[in-house]
Amino acid sequence: MSITNKITVKRAEIAVAVILALCSIALMIKSSENRITWNAEENMGAGFLPFYLSLGMLICTILTIIKFVLKRSPQSKDDTPFIDAVAFKFIAVTIISLVVLVLAIGYLGIYFSLIFFLAFYLRYFSEKSIAFITIFAITTPILTFLFFEWMLKIPLPQGVSEPLFYPVYDFMYGGFSFAVKMIFIILTVLLPTALVFLTTRFIK
Amino acid sequence: MSIIKKLALVVVSLSLVAVSSVSSAKPFSPKKPVELIIPAGQGGGADEIARLVQGVIEKNDYASKPVIPINKSGGSGGEAMTYVKKKAGDEHTLIITLNNVLTTPVNQPELGIDFFNDFTPLARLITDTFLVWIATEGKNTAGVETFDDFIDLAKGNGLVMGGTGSMSEDELLLGMMRGQFGFDAKYVPYSGGGAVAKGLVGGESDFTLNNPSEQMGFYQSGDSKALVMMTPERNPAFPEVPSSYELGYPDLEYYMMRAFMAPAGIDAEVEKYYTGLLHTVYHDDEFQTFNIDDGKLMSWLEGFGLKDFLAIEYEKHGEIIKNFN
Amino acid sequence: METVGFLLDGIFTSLQWFNLALLIFGCLIGLFVGAMPGLGSVNGVAILIPITFIIPPTAAIIFLAAVYYGAMYGGAISSVMLGIPGASTAVATVFDGRPLAVKGEAMTALTAAAVGSFVGGTVSVILFTLFAPPLAEVALRFNAPETFALMVMAFATFVGLGGDDVPKTIFSILIGLALSTIGLDLITGKPRLIFFNIPGFLHGINFLVLAIGIYGIGEMLWTLEETKGKVQMSKLSVNMKEVGRAFGALKKTIMAMNIGSFLGFFVGILPAAGATPASLMSYGITKQLSKNSKEFGEGVPAGVVAPECANNSASTGSMLPMLTLGIPGSPTTAILLGGMILWGLTPGPLLFTQEPEFVWGLIGSLYIANFFTLVLNIALIPAFLMVLRIPFAILAPVIFVLCVTGGYAPTQSLHDVWLMLLFGFAGYILRKLDYPVAPAVLSIVLGPLAEKALRQSLILSDGSMGIFFDVSEKPIAAVIMYIAIVLLIMPAFGPLYRRLFKKKQTA
Repeated sequence: MSITNKITVKRAEIAVAVILALCSIALMIKSSENRITWNAEENMGAGFLPFYLSLGMLICTILTIIKFVLKRSPQSKDDTPFIDAVAFKFIAVTIISLVVLVLAIGYLGIYFSLIFFLAFYLRYFSEKSIAFITIFAITTPILTFLFFEWMLKIPLPQGVSEPLFYPVYDFMYGGFSFAVKMIFIILTVLLPTALVFLTTRFIK
Repeated sequence: MSIIKKLALVVVSLSLVAVSSVSSAKPFSPKKPVELIIPAGQGGGADEIARLVQGVIEKNDYASKPVIPINKSGGSGGEAMTYVKKKAGDEHTLIITLNNVLTTPVNQPELGIDFFNDFTPLARLITDTFLVWIATEGKNTAGVETFDDFIDLAKGNGLVMGGTGSMSEDELLLGMMRGQFGFDAKYVPYSGGGAVAKGLVGGESDFTLNNPSEQMGFYQSGDSKALVMMTPERNPAFPEVPSSYELGYPDLEYYMMRAFMAPAGIDAEVEKYYTGLLHTVYHDDEFQTFNIDDGKLMSWLEGFGLKDFLAIEYEKHGEIIKNFN
Repeated sequence: METVGFLLDGIFTSLQWFNLALLIFGCLIGLFVGAMPGLGSVNGVAILIPITFIIPPTAAIIFLAAVYYGAMYGGAISSVMLGIPGASTAVATVFDGRPLAVKGEAMTALTAAAVGSFVGGTVSVILFTLFAPPLAEVALRFNAPETFALMVMAFATFVGLGGDDVPKTIFSILIGLALSTIGLDLITGKPRLIFFNIPGFLHGINFLVLAIGIYGIGEMLWTLEETKGKVQMSKLSVNMKEVGRAFGALKKTIMAMNIGSFLGFFVGILPAAGATPASLMSYGITKQLSKNSKEFGEGVPAGVVAPECANNSASTGSMLPMLTLGIPGSPTTAILLGGMILWGLTPGPLLFTQEPEFVWGLIGSLYIANFFTLVLNIALIPAFLMVLRIPFAILAPVIFVLCVTGGYAPTQSLHDVWLMLLFGFAGYILRKLDYPVAPAVLSIVLGPLAEKALRQSLILSDGSMGIFFDVSEKPIAAVIMYIAIVLLIMPAFGPLYRRLFKKKQTA
């Protein structure tokens, strides 16, 4: 019997309820670092609302647990697997690759991390050709760069790859005319993008 | 140079990145857009100046790369200061100050910010001041014409003061006035100077200690009036409002500084570049006109003068906070 | 009437060809920025402020209005097509827009959003023109106790939104509220719930982080499980029959349009409320008053029309407190306000009399922008629908990229991207166990507003809750509060009442 069969809806329900109860207690403890009282002399303390909100959360989870014990909720009688093995694999791969992506962003910067993420994810989930994946994985970060850094002027994290972008910025804000910039963008971005769109039609 | 040659140049420079990063004897100029951190939310006084500086630089091409304002309003500037502290040595980050850079390190010691060693002060451009405002038709402040009337009234009754958030400049000022004049008030925090001004005119609070620009609209419409300005001299934007010195309260003097700082550990070259850039902005006609009309004081200060000023202000704020608690 | 003259001037000014070109360009930028998760009109407007130093102020205002309105529409596009709210104002659009798209009726959803937005925008411009000065007075009298009463009413309209499991629904509401208390406490100036002293918590949890996490990452995981990554997201066809059907479906949404337009405008003019609570409340009220309220959340056009109508109506309405009181209801209006000050205009009661060209020029261009965005939107629907043709295996990573950039952009902090992933995963697990997630998203939006208003009121009243119920002292607050209480109690007594009523019939 595989692990995914052992995790039934029933078990997941009670496990989640207990975890949420513990989280609520933790939140109550954390809230009480600020004053949690509210009385005639002193106005409502900063911790008052979070404390009683998390107390309410705790009560709700306890009610859920009671309903579980009394078998009043549909989940408490459900012995089917919480998730089937195939879906579990997909979701695990997705989550792990996302975590790796965000870790990589912190070090490598977003643009290069995205190339690896997209290449891996597409290779794993789609049946597209390497040619398609390569173009797609390279064009997407370029478009992201143009959209965020050039159009919206929102800097995205670049990590250690930052010096690589200095010449690009020099070009973007240098004394080149608008026409030169546009021709350059068309050559580097729009053409490959068009290629991607064409390849979605012709390359599998 | 033909387009193709230009493009070729770009391609070559792209491929020579590693080489180009070798330092040369050329004076510093930014290699990428400069982040201008605003330790407050959108729409406040600091935000306004930051975006004005951005606009002036962009319009006149004062810098080779744009300046990008980024709001990090969390924790009374605590988030912004931690961010800049972590950026030590970064040549493309600036922070515009509110006075919360003086109070937050003291109020939130757990952030571990050392005001004197974590930042490189560049220049002070503007100082903003505070006024005591009441509503013209305020139901609790009816008949108050002068600041002395106001003190007499405030001593007897628990007035309500609208302010911009606990432990912010105006609550500290209230603390200062409490010590000086012996009256206390109920402090209601709002989010932002605009909401404070509206609370006053809407009848929720009895007085506020607001910046000139935040109350300007209601001042011009006659809905609120100022009793005193906390400066040695009158301000041309508010000709009929007496200064605190005139009224004989020279201790009632307080400024909000709009200065710029860089992270610690940057080269003297870099420091010189940004100070120069700010100096150009400071002398821009548009920048001058806007700020003077808005009732701000143009007060350039750099170098040792600025360091002394900051040291004095830091100490003063430490004192105010100590008395406040 | 003089104001109508100024308004017409404003409209004609924005129809000059240079301004018109700017307007259409602005609408397109707005649509695009609005459709990107995490980015909204605030980003569009922020980058344009420096540009407005270069072009004349009138053109600048027209451009900004176009971006603003474009983004209001754009938010709905990603809500419907991707299931991720493109902006805070489009959260409620996800509730029914997404199910419609999944059912293959994306066309209906997009048409409903576009037409609803247009109607809301139109009604609000008319209301603004007719009633601006008296409404400014109302906005001025709307203080902390009134705001809190309004928030209670907003929560009350959402009683019915949760699932069948009462403890889980309440848990969801409470966790949303608790998350919204993280960060600096405005009233005491003290940091709260800064877990492990991570500075990222100092700015609190941006509700977009939760919304993108739950609706972006969570929804993708959910779809991945359902389809095993093999199926296209939904089937669709674009033909004339489909178009006719889409417009036909709108006939049943007249009530939603009325509620959305009027409620949206009213909530919009209140300082500090703005378009997000307006759209949520109008969704809630439309649902409660609808004959088929059970079907809400499963994909009814009225559920798209109500919030979209309201957010557009409210965004015109929110110009009122900005212009007359200098209070921005949203980050976007905050930046716009900053822009106005930089152009040498002083927001305040005198603005309407001193700078009528500016005020009515702005309102006029908002209206023209509204019209052109409708046209653009309807024209571009086939292009939006192409998104649904993209195979899931390609769309999924693109959505993940959008989520990551969208989680990062509002606060520029990687910390929020981590939180978003966490919320996405937790939201997915909880949703599988029948914990409703929508109440958490609502309460994280409304929580900070409600808490601030509550505690300001309590300072004023020296801790007495009586301030909310005193009809002679604070009539507006008291009336809203009593309505809210009735709304809260109604669903609880509904079944009881029905049971009694049925017994009578059978007896």
